[in-house]
Amino acid sequence: MSIANPLMPQMATILDITAETPDVKTLRVSGKDGLPFEFMPGQCAMLSVLPVGEAIFSITSSPTCRDCLEFSIKNVGKVSSYLHSLAPGQQIGIRGPYGNGFPVDQIKGKDLLFIGGGIGLAPLRSLIGYCFANRDDYGQIDIVYGARSPADMIRKSEVKETWAEQPNTNVHLTVDAEFPDWKGHIGFVPNYVTELAFTPANKVAITCGPPIMIKFVLQALDKLGFAPEQVITTLEMRMKCGVGKCGRCNLGSVYVCKDGPVFSLAELNELPGEY
Amino acid sequence: MKKMIAADELAKLWIRLAEKSTLFLPVQDGPTVLYQPWKDGAQVELEAFNSAISPKDIFLPREETYLHYHCSGQSLELAAVEDDRAVTAFGIHPCDLKAIEMLDRVFMEQEPADSLYQKRREKTTVVALSCTKPDPFCFCGIFDVDPLDAPGADVMAHLVDGYMHLEARTEKGKALLEEAGDLLENSTIDKIEREIKTTDFGLDIKGLPEDLKSRFDDPAWDELYKSCLSCGVCTYVCPTCYCFDVEDYGHDAEGERFRCWDSCMFGHFTQMAGGHNPRPSRKERVRQRFMHKLQYYPEVYNEIACVGCGRCLRSCPVNLDIVQAIKALGGEKVEHR
Repeated sequence: MSIANPLMPQMATILDITAETPDVKTLRVSGKDGLPFEFMPGQCAMLSVLPVGEAIFSITSSPTCRDCLEFSIKNVGKVSSYLHSLAPGQQIGIRGPYGNGFPVDQIKGKDLLFIGGGIGLAPLRSLIGYCFANRDDYGQIDIVYGARSPADMIRKSEVKETWAEQPNTNVHLTVDAEFPDWKGHIGFVPNYVTELAFTPANKVAITCGPPIMIKFVLQALDKLGFAPEQVITTLEMRMKCGVGKCGRCNLGSVYVCKDGPVFSLAELNELPGEY
Repeated sequence: MKKMIAADELAKLWIRLAEKSTLFLPVQDGPTVLYQPWKDGAQVELEAFNSAISPKDIFLPREETYLHYHCSGQSLELAAVEDDRAVTAFGIHPCDLKAIEMLDRVFMEQEPADSLYQKRREKTTVVALSCTKPDPFCFCGIFDVDPLDAPGADVMAHLVDGYMHLEARTEKGKALLEEAGDLLENSTIDKIEREIKTTDFGLDIKGLPEDLKSRFDDPAWDELYKSCLSCGVCTYVCPTCYCFDVEDYGHDAEGERFRCWDSCMFGHFTQMAGGHNPRPSRKERVRQRFMHKLQYYPEVYNEIACVGCGRCLRSCPVNLDIVQAIKALGGEKVEHR
């Protein structure tokens, strides 16, 4: 009859911390023996630093990476700023995985168009890594990634070198404005998506970024002829329990932590727009 | 198994029950009645109208610590805090027990089960008590609550002519009556006959959940919230509200993590670290609470998350209670409109 308390974290250790941008660090975290739990791309975990609190973050590593979980975390709040201040070797609490994850089976055989903005690349990166590890299951991969400035791009060398060299893969980078050392595309992500004129046939678009970017990306995809069923995004809301009970991420009859955070645009259209 | 005990002998029963469990019952506490652990001399108010706050806190306490932590250098130790005490919940009204069954679905049926809630529920014996004197605000009738019967009770109790009659409905209930066997005699009544008159406030809720599905942007929401003070009292007294918070308390070396009641009426409830708030004003928050009761919960569980206990009618300082909300949304009988 003994059931486990779903709010009870397990122990984890920070293996290392890399500064990605002026306000984003990537933490590599392991449980007692490697991965603290099995998960799928798009799922999240609660990280605990006591007595500061607990916050939910998307897992940015692919489940095919077997030795640790990676989290790319922007310094915006109480828990995230404390995580930024820690050093490798620190023990923290972790629980998860939470959420539904990306529909990796449903999108098999499709061409994939990833559209990320700023820190919004973090949850996409888990799926991108998964697709590269299972490359034959997926068609052409296009990755559009933008940030305010070149300095605000996360996982820069991986995006530019590793991803761009994958078979049947194109990486399209853009920044919001001109910068002295930037020779690539200049302009907002949604406009770049329009300029690149992606065709919707046999394609699924997966997007994550700041709410304002997502809003205009959805409009751009609609104009390009993408049906709501072909567009997938992942939501971010305040969460405390992660298991569909505490009430914060309630959206109509669903809880984003449990029934999301990944939704197709068709599914989102059926829910209150309160996110 | 049907037993009875003289009402003026009940203190003996409570002493017995309190020996082996924490006994919660409705106690007069200053001007209000609250479900509290029994202690000698407590002024138990079995015939009072509904307690000021629902007995949900027997299962979902206002605050509960569930882990202790110790930090030293870079190492961290976490220890679970378990609550294994047996509980007797005595004198629970049928409306409140129905509300607890609504919480059961959220905390026990929806995976993963909430172990803190479930353990307490499993270790609690519920003695439900039929109503004798409903409050002018009671409107349980429209939510199919029978004020004379609580189907989920372990023991169903009735106060009749100076006696409390106790019928065991489950194994747990039978065990309770056997435990106090020497204090009880066989019940002399078969069926309880009593007329309980409650109001319906002229409400007609038939079809309201389905109707509201397409009314998230209804103009009624632009008016309804205006008197709300964001005090949150509706959520605290409500037997079907269950939102909670998780917080830490302590210093760098040691402390604890607890959960406590929270309220979707508060602005910070959904405030994100980056500054974005999906429910930024009272309008969104009032809509969230009533839509959850009247549409979101029923969509999953086929039942409106209200039992007509009347607590929000008694407590809201600006009369923005669920009856007003249902009326504003058109859930009124034609002749009352």
